[in-house]
Amino acid sequence: MLSSMHTSLEKKMDAALLNKKSRFHRKTLQYIGMVIFGLIAFIYLTPLLWLFDVSFRPRIEIFQVPPKILQAAPWVTFRSYSFASFKLALQKYQVGQGFLNSVFVTACGVIVTLLVCSLAAYAFAFLKFRGRDIIFMFILSTMMLPMDTLLAPMYRVLRTLGLFNKHLGLILLYGASAFGVFLIRQFYVRLPISLIEAAVMDGANKLRIWWQIILPISKPALSALAIYQFRLIWNDFLIPMIVLRNRTLHTLPIKLQVMDSITIAKDYDAMMATGFLAVFVPIVFFLIYQRQFMEGLSGSVKG
Amino acid sequence: MSSIAAVRRPRSRFFKFSKVEPYFFIAPFLILLLLFNFYTIYVGIKMGFTDAQGINFGEWIGVENYRHLLSGENPDFWPAIGRSFLFMFGGLVTQMPIAFILACILNSTVFGKIRGILRAAFYVPVLINTVVASLVFRMLFNKDTGLINWVLANFGMAKIDWLFTPQLCIPLMILVSFWQWTGFHMVYLLASIQAIDPTIYEVAKLDGASPLRTMFQITLPLIRPALMFVLITSAIGGMRQFEYSFMLFPNAGYGPGMKALTAVPFIYFYGFSNNFELGLATAAGWILFLIILIFVLIQIFTIGLGQSEEY
Repeated sequence: MLSSMHTSLEKKMDAALLNKKSRFHRKTLQYIGMVIFGLIAFIYLTPLLWLFDVSFRPRIEIFQVPPKILQAAPWVTFRSYSFASFKLALQKYQVGQGFLNSVFVTACGVIVTLLVCSLAAYAFAFLKFRGRDIIFMFILSTMMLPMDTLLAPMYRVLRTLGLFNKHLGLILLYGASAFGVFLIRQFYVRLPISLIEAAVMDGANKLRIWWQIILPISKPALSALAIYQFRLIWNDFLIPMIVLRNRTLHTLPIKLQVMDSITIAKDYDAMMATGFLAVFVPIVFFLIYQRQFMEGLSGSVKG
Repeated sequence: MSSIAAVRRPRSRFFKFSKVEPYFFIAPFLILLLLFNFYTIYVGIKMGFTDAQGINFGEWIGVENYRHLLSGENPDFWPAIGRSFLFMFGGLVTQMPIAFILACILNSTVFGKIRGILRAAFYVPVLINTVVASLVFRMLFNKDTGLINWVLANFGMAKIDWLFTPQLCIPLMILVSFWQWTGFHMVYLLASIQAIDPTIYEVAKLDGASPLRTMFQITLPLIRPALMFVLITSAIGGMRQFEYSFMLFPNAGYGPGMKALTAVPFIYFYGFSNNFELGLATAAGWILFLIILIFVLIQIFTIGLGQSEEY
């Protein structure tokens, strides 16, 4: 409301202050700026657009320069589009299974993180118990440890626990997110306590209060953590590559790496199709939840 | 730090002291944390002093692994650490200024409604799997069939063998990293620029400050915290990078003459693909761990704990 009033006022002032000529200059400047930046954005996204284009093309067209799409009018070159590359990826490399593995690991990883972290954060934010502050500081101290440098011990620990070569191992590993506990606790601590007290029913146990009252109102914090974990888990490569040995368990990035490790006559078309699938999902989510993605970003500025 | 220590004191009946329940609530998380952080660290400390190989636990060999690495006896270790630093610094000096300038330009009123679209367009590359990004750039940088040499040829330049020139390994990785992260930094900085009180700019305009001067003397100091955050987190991210080194060059060979082998790929190469020397990889991991920890401590002391790990 206020901002729109502000801009309309500004426009009126502009109109009063500027004569026709400088207003014309302003408009042209505006268009030139837009065109230049639009062009920069387009060039910036070229690698991605190229991937989208070639993943639907037959193998011989992937390596053509100039790119096939520039050789004639684009709609003419679209005639060679097909799903053949996807079919090859699905049939020869079981990429469909890889996709489902990725979806499964990501979904479970996100859900486990949300449940485990918000339950712990609930206790740290609302309940009093002996050693609470010490335990919380202890958790915080682990938050920024660069654990991924300790690949070899992590591999050994997973083997010892019998979690090696299992999706469960990965999922639990992602669930141990100290950052998640911190993020949600910060949100809980800022909630007005009277609001929660008013909603608490007499005789309800604390677990039920968490599930029925606290969880539903913590949607902003949960969605911020979900987006953070989604991006992290879906795109993770190094740890799944070490943990998952069986072909049937491989996630999409690992599938791609396996396809790439064939030294002679790689199926580049199938690889591009797999790449398309790996890239497509986060972009769709981003387009749907753009506001949450960007807000999560600015929310962390305020910390 | 102060905001973390300040715990609000709940007053009601419900939130009074409880004996056992809270421990059940924190147990699932705490168990995972103990297993995957503390137990891993404990195992790691021991492993660094052994010659563990693959699934063999190995023998206690004292500080031999550390001596082997630190003395430079291992031909790859110090060069790998050096390349990690080079990659990190290269990333910082290319991404930060451009991200800042783009954010300032995009902040101007000229863009109005299309700002949102441009912001989204610049944000997208960070969502892309680094494996896919590396693979795409490998194909674009191909000497004969790549798009980049074709574009350069249109400007009358000779073909460059990007992927097989040892001197170009780290610059190429910096370039792909630039593509993925600059837009993200820009969006982050833009958010903090837009949070600046607009009256400050109006006053500056009335005082006749040039846009360039406004940018460096008003915007830059005011977004210093955000700038510091982006700077340090991307330094940490740079030290941890693995995928560009592993996937950008053909045949998972870490570039021509392994000239793209940085620190984490070193750990993977020695621990998981060469001779499965897990003891050595653990020792190298600890050295890198300490290096990154220094950056983390700088971050904690300059901007405080609790900013996200890697966004």
